Amino acid sequence: MAKKAKKSPAKGRRQSSSKKSAPRRWFSWRLVGKLSLVMLVVVAAGMAYLDALVRERFDSHVWQLPARVYARPVELYAGRVLSREDMLKLLDLMRYRHTSSASTPGSYARNGNTLVLDTRGFKDSDGGEPSQRIRLTLSAGHIQSIKASQTGNLARLEPLQIGSIHPQHQEDRVLVRLDQVPPLLVDMLVATEDRSFYEHHGISLRGLSRAMLANIKAGGLVQGGSTLTQQLVKNFWLTSERTLSRKLMEMPMALLLELHYSKQQILEAYLNEVYLGQDGNRAIHGMGLGAQFFFGRPLDELEPHQLATLVALLKGPSWYDPRRHPKRAMERRNTVLKVAVKEGALSEQDYRKYSARPLEVVPRGASALYAFPAFIDLVRRQLARDYPPEVLSREGLHIHSTLDVLAQLASERALHDRLQHIDPKENKHLNGAVVVVSPTEGDVLALVSNRHSRESGFNRALDALRPIGSLAKPAVVLAAMEEPKKYSLATNVEDGPVEVKMPNGSLWAPGNYDKQSLGAMPIVDVLAHSRNQATARLGLDVGLDKVADTMKTLGVQRKIPLYPSILLGSLELTPFEVAMMYQPLATGGFSTRLRSITDVLDKGGKPLARYPVSTEEAVDAGPAFVTQWAMQQVIEEGTGRGARKQLPEELKIAGKTGTSDDFRDAWFAGFSANHLAVVWVGRDDNHNTGLTGATGALPVWTELMAKLPQRSLSQTPPAGVDWVWMDENGRQQSAEGCHGARRIPMLEASIPQDSNGCGTVKDTGKGVVKWFKGLFD
Amino acid sequence: MVQGLVRLTLLAALLAGCAMQPVQEETQAPVTAEQQLQGSPALSLYEHARQARSQGNNSAAERYLERALTMAPDASWLYRELADLHLSEGDARGAEGFALRALRLAPDNDAYRAGLWELVATARSRQGDEQGARAARDNADRLRQPASA
Repeated sequence: MAKKAKKSPAKGRRQSSSKKSAPRRWFSWRLVGKLSLVMLVVVAAGMAYLDALVRERFDSHVWQLPARVYARPVELYAGRVLSREDMLKLLDLMRYRHTSSASTPGSYARNGNTLVLDTRGFKDSDGGEPSQRIRLTLSAGHIQSIKASQTGNLARLEPLQIGSIHPQHQEDRVLVRLDQVPPLLVDMLVATEDRSFYEHHGISLRGLSRAMLANIKAGGLVQGGSTLTQQLVKNFWLTSERTLSRKLMEMPMALLLELHYSKQQILEAYLNEVYLGQDGNRAIHGMGLGAQFFFGRPLDELEPHQLATLVALLKGPSWYDPRRHPKRAMERRNTVLKVAVKEGALSEQDYRKYSARPLEVVPRGASALYAFPAFIDLVRRQLARDYPPEVLSREGLHIHSTLDVLAQLASERALHDRLQHIDPKENKHLNGAVVVVSPTEGDVLALVSNRHSRESGFNRALDALRPIGSLAKPAVVLAAMEEPKKYSLATNVEDGPVEVKMPNGSLWAPGNYDKQSLGAMPIVDVLAHSRNQATARLGLDVGLDKVADTMKTLGVQRKIPLYPSILLGSLELTPFEVAMMYQPLATGGFSTRLRSITDVLDKGGKPLARYPVSTEEAVDAGPAFVTQWAMQQVIEEGTGRGARKQLPEELKIAGKTGTSDDFRDAWFAGFSANHLAVVWVGRDDNHNTGLTGATGALPVWTELMAKLPQRSLSQTPPAGVDWVWMDENGRQQSAEGCHGARRIPMLEASIPQDSNGCGTVKDTGKGVVKWFKGLFD
Repeated sequence: MVQGLVRLTLLAALLAGCAMQPVQEETQAPVTAEQQLQGSPALSLYEHARQARSQGNNSAAERYLERALTMAPDASWLYRELADLHLSEGDARGAEGFALRALRLAPDNDAYRAGLWELVATARSRQGDEQGARAARDNADRLRQPASA
C-alpha cells in the first residue's frame, strides 16, 4: 500500500505532463514533504525567535521600581525629648508588632517605661543602621537611657516610607529575593496554583486536560490550566486576553523558559511580577509590595494567615480583594490554608489557629504612603530638577527626606483643630497652610496645605500667593538697624498720619488697625504693636530701595515693586517663601537653603547624591540680633502675646503677626532656636475671613509649637552689641530703675554718648572710649 | 578736669605696675571637640565623621556631621569641621559660610578664633576675594598678637 502510494505521485506528474486533459491530483507526497520542510523551517525560525525573545527579555528585564520617599529616621539617644505616647505613635505608624519578647525585626515589647525594640535596619549615605535590639527607658517626656545591641548609646529607627514617585498608570513593586520570601508562602503558592511545579517542564498536561474538561463542561473558556511558568510568560510577554493564539505562544515560551532558567529563578520572577490589585492609578505588583499594601509590613514579617491572603488573591485580585470583599477573601484564604495542611506545609494545629484569625488588613487610608501629599509634592518638585521622570519611575531610588513625622502630625492637628474651632461647619470656607523648618539646617520638617491634610490638590503651602501684610515689618526694622548711626530700637518714630503722593496722582495714606495714631514711640514698640503709620514713616525714611534690598537679602526672590505699600506687606508670597524669608532672621543672619531631601540612594542602598546643608552670612550679626530681639517683644508684649497662653514664660521665642487688607489673610511667622513655623489662614476665593494674624494664625502656631520640643533663642549679644538702659526719648542713656528706662540691645555705633543723668550709666564699649576721652577733657 | 587728672594718675599707676611685673600670658584652655561636645551623643557622630574622612568617604562624614548638628546645634566645632570638609571638597563658598557660623558660636579663645579666621581667609582667597581674605587674615593676626606680645 505504501509502495503503491509512493509511486502514484510520480506517475501522476508524468501523466499530467503528457495528458493535459487528465485531472490533477491534489495530494502529492512531495508537496507534503516540501510543506513539512517549510513548516519545520518556519517552526524552527519561530522557536528561535521565541527563544531569543524569552532569553533577551528575562536576562535584561528591568523591574519598574518607582522612587520611594522616606521620612527622616528617628534618632534615639539619652536626653532626647520624646514622650512615651509619641514613641508608641511612631511604632504604630511603622507597624511594629506589640509582642511579649520583641524577638523578630519590626516588633517591640513594653514593660512600664521600658521598651524593647527589634528594629529593621536600613541603608543611608553614612552606612545606615543595622537591624538590632534596643532597650529604651522613657520618662518625663525624655529618653532616660538607651542601649542598642550594636550601636551602643545612639541608634536610629528605620525611616518610615511616606510615598513613592510614579506617573499615571504605573506599576509599583517592592523587589524581594527568593531567600527573603517566607518558605511557607512558596509552599502555599505551589500547592494552590501549580502542584506539579517542581516536576513539569513548563507545561502540565494533567493541568491542561483538567482545564479542557472544565471548559467543555462550561461551554467556554473558564479555566486556563496554566502552570506558574505559563502565568509568568503571560505576565512578562503576552497580554491577558484568553485567546488560542496567545495560548499557542505561551506554551513554547514556557518550555523555553524552563529550558534556560532554574525553578528558583522562575519562582523569584513570578513572586515579583504577579499582579495583586489596583490602588488608583498604581498597579500593585509582587508579593513584596502586596505585603506593604495590604498589611503595612515587609513580607518576611507576615504571619501564615496573612501570607495565605496574598496567595488567595492570585485567583482573582479584584474578586478576592480583602478590603472590598472581606468575606470572600476570608473563605479563599482559609481554603489556601487548608490546601497547605493537605500538602504538609502547615500543621492542623496552626490551621485551626490561623484560620480563626481575622484578615488584619490595614485600612487603605491608614498607610503613611498617602498621609502627607503636600510634602511629597514638595519632594517631587525638588527631585524633578535633578532627575528625569523615567529614572524616578523605574530605578527604585531611595529618597531620604527631611520630614519629621511628629512635627508633621502636630502641624496637621493644630491646623485642623483650630480651624474646626473657628469654623466648625466649614461654612466660612476657611483653609490654611503650615510650613515648619529647622532653621539651622534648613530642613523642611512639616508641610500642610489643607485643613484636611490627607486631601491632595491645591498646595497652599507652595502655591497660595498672598499679600504678607505685617510680616514685612521685620524687614523694615532690619533695614533701619543696618544704619546704626541713624537708628536703634530705641529711636522714636511718630505714629501719625502719613501721606505719599503716588505717580498716578492718588494718595497713599495708611491707617492703623485700631484707627488711632499713638504718637512717638520707639522702633521696638512699633514692631511689637505692629503700628502701620510709624512703620510706613520709618520705611520711607530708610528708603524703599533699601527695604527692598533687605527683603532680597533675606531670601525673597520675586520682583519687589518699589511702592510704599510694600512696607506694610502688599508683596505677595507663598507660605513656603515666607519661611525662606524668615529663616535668616531665626539664625541670626545666616541664610540656609531650605531642603526637603538629604540623600538619594540607588535600589541597592548605594549613595548616589547628597543634598547638603548650606549656609552663608546674609546679614551682619549685630543688626540680625537686635531685630530678632525686637521680634521677641512681639511675643512678650505685642500682638503675639497670645502665644504665652500655651508656651512657657521662660521660653524665648520671636515672631510676627500679619493681616492683609479686609482680613483676607491671617499670618503668623515665628521661631524658637530649633523650629521656625509659618501659618497662613484664609479662603481660596480670597474673601474676607474676619480674622487677624493674632486671632486666625497665631492659635495654630502656638498649638503646634507647644507640641514640639523647643529651645530658647540666645540672649547673648554678638560682638559689637551691648545691653544698654535707654531713656524713653531714645536719644540718651539712662539707668536701671529710672523713669521710663528700658534695657535694649544696641549696636555700638548707635549707643548715645549722653545720659539723661539718672542713676549710674553702665560702661559699654563706647563708654570705655568715652572714659579715655575723659583723660584729656 | 580734676576727674581727668585722677584718671591719668590711675592709668600711670597701672602702666607702672605692668612694667614692674613680668608679662603674664593669659592661658586659655584649647578648644577641642571633646570639650565642645562633652556629654552629647554628637561626639560619637563627630568621631565617626573623622573616621569616614580618613577613609576618604566625605559624603558619609558630612552626613554624620549634619546629624550631629541636630543634637548639638550650638557647637562651633561642628561648623568648623563642616567648613574644613567643604574646603577640602572644593566648595570654598560653603566653607566660608560654615567658618563664619563657627565664629559666631566660637568660645572666647583667641587661638581658636584666629584659626577660624584663617579658614575664612583661605575660603575667600579661593573664591578670588583677595580683599576679603586680607581682612580675615588681619583679624586672625590681631587675635594672635596678645599671645606673642
